[in-house]
Amino acid sequence: MLIEIKDLRKKYIMGDIEVEALRGVNLNIQQNEFVSIMGPSGSGKSTLMNILGCLDNPSSGQYIFDSVDVSLLNDDELSEIRNQKIGFIFQTFNLLPKLSALQNVELPLIYAGYDKHERREIAREALDKMGLSSRADHKPNELSGGQRQRVAIARALATKPGIILADEPTGNLDSKTGNEIMALFRELNEEGNTIILITHEPEIAEYADRAIIIKDGLIISDKPTSGNTAEVLSENSLTS
Amino acid sequence: MQIEENIRVAFNGLVEHKVRSFLTMLGIIFGVASVIAMLSIGEGAKREAIKKYQQLGVNNIIVRDKDLSDQELENVRAKFSNGLSLKDVESIRNIVPQIDKISPQAEKASEVKYEDKSLKANLIGVTPEYDEILNYKMESGSFINNDQYQRQLKVCVIGSEVASKFFKLGDPIGQSIKIDDQWLEVIGVLQSKALFTETVGELASRDLNSDIYVPLSTFHGRFDKEKQLASELKQITIKVEDSKNISKAAKLIENIVSRHHFDNDDFSIIIPVELLKQEEKERRIYNILLGSIAAISLLVGGIGIMNIMLATVMERTREIGIRRAIGAKRDAILSQFITESLTLSITGGIIGVLLGLSLSISISFFTEITTSVTLYSVLIAFLFSVIVGVTFGYLPAKKAANLRPIESIRYE
Repeated sequence: MLIEIKDLRKKYIMGDIEVEALRGVNLNIQQNEFVSIMGPSGSGKSTLMNILGCLDNPSSGQYIFDSVDVSLLNDDELSEIRNQKIGFIFQTFNLLPKLSALQNVELPLIYAGYDKHERREIAREALDKMGLSSRADHKPNELSGGQRQRVAIARALATKPGIILADEPTGNLDSKTGNEIMALFRELNEEGNTIILITHEPEIAEYADRAIIIKDGLIISDKPTSGNTAEVLSENSLTS
Repeated sequence: MQIEENIRVAFNGLVEHKVRSFLTMLGIIFGVASVIAMLSIGEGAKREAIKKYQQLGVNNIIVRDKDLSDQELENVRAKFSNGLSLKDVESIRNIVPQIDKISPQAEKASEVKYEDKSLKANLIGVTPEYDEILNYKMESGSFINNDQYQRQLKVCVIGSEVASKFFKLGDPIGQSIKIDDQWLEVIGVLQSKALFTETVGELASRDLNSDIYVPLSTFHGRFDKEKQLASELKQITIKVEDSKNISKAAKLIENIVSRHHFDNDDFSIIIPVELLKQEEKERRIYNILLGSIAAISLLVGGIGIMNIMLATVMERTREIGIRRAIGAKRDAILSQFITESLTLSITGGIIGVLLGLSLSISISFFTEITTSVTLYSVLIAFLFSVIVGVTFGYLPAKKAANLRPIESIRYE
């Protein structure tokens, strides 16, 4: 089991009011799954995502990631897990605007301790894989939305984390580009990556194999998708 | 490898915000420049002083006949004092155990002529030990020897200024010059010495390069006294074997001479090394004062850096969040921002060093003040700018490192 979550709760204090964003979530995700998490805004899906990504700690409950109890880890150890085992992809891409595409991809490798030569090579390979070799020296604002998200994916994959957490990855893209990106996720999943996708669009969630719906801090549905992903893909004729 | 990356990011930031960075660095620039300029003035003054006192001899005690008016001189003579004399020299030589060498000297202002040129010079009667006590270096020829002294020979050693005025082209050695009404043969020329621009104790400032030295015996035997009542000697220079004994010897000498002079206050004792110490003490206080003023400028510079770094951290909250999300540890963020403030302060420091150097050069070029920049002062100033960078960069960097990644990544 890659991810084991038991009775996970998260409370926030907002002013004087205590808000319970997660109210006892139980969830298991296995290696190489492609899972989508859907829910309306305020449902707690982003909170869940942050905890899954080791960006935030639960208030109570247990989160075992890759056989390690995350709640017992300190800040440095959490940083290491984020660096080595998790690749983040965000709706707003979150590339550093002053760095070139290549330098953005190199970032996690710097923190992983690779030397200059190695990380340049790995970053180039990752960009190559995303079909962006010719854009390596461009700054993010010189790239299209789809290209930016591909750079972000290359960055997420740079340290070969094995699990990708994508938070509304298509939210800022037009539907054609969005579908291209989703096809890419499909491919990555077939190559052995575990993918957890947060979205509020059911048609995007369809790309996953398993759809989880969360509402008011609880999982209300967890089942396989209708299985017509292949059709969606062929409709967009992106399997090349 | 991360350090290299930090430095690159820091420099890019600095170049990107040129004006802002420059304004931030101004405090450090002025602070460092003023530290260097200030220390260079202090160091210049110190070197001048050391040079001055070295010329007087650091192991020397000088007993000098006071410059008295005719009336005072009559009073003193009436009270049985004959002024400095060879008897004083003999007593000192016999009684004071710490003496290495002792040299009496007589002085008078003279008219010197060579061919159609003439000038005013100090005629100084000395014994052969004189040049050893004062470490005089010869440009050419040799100093007065014992034989010339014993036989009252009419020979003289001239200062560089006299040589250059009289003998522009030819060799002065062997030439005869006329001093008052005597013809003397030049046997040596002294190397040029630094000018005495200040009065040291009772030693009035004068140009040593215009001096003419003759054997003391010749001086007494062949030249008229400047005044009827003038003392036999103008000065006695005593070299002590060990500088540790200098004040003890000086005390003893003072007692001897005072007794001989029937307690008349007609001589003074100058101990160059003590005067040097005194001057250094005063200068140290002055340096500390100036140093504190410069330090305030560095402090203000440091606060400027802290201010701008706090603003930078705010501005780049999102960047910090992204870096943290993809695996940067707190220490990585801390060192990144400390590197940035260090880059600011060190760049400011380097510009400050350059400005300080040019300031110090301009000061010595445009004014009479001698300056001297030492490696030590540059290192001190530079070290200070590093300390300022780390000290005032720490708080903002700590703030950056402690930002929660989840909140900062959503920061707009």
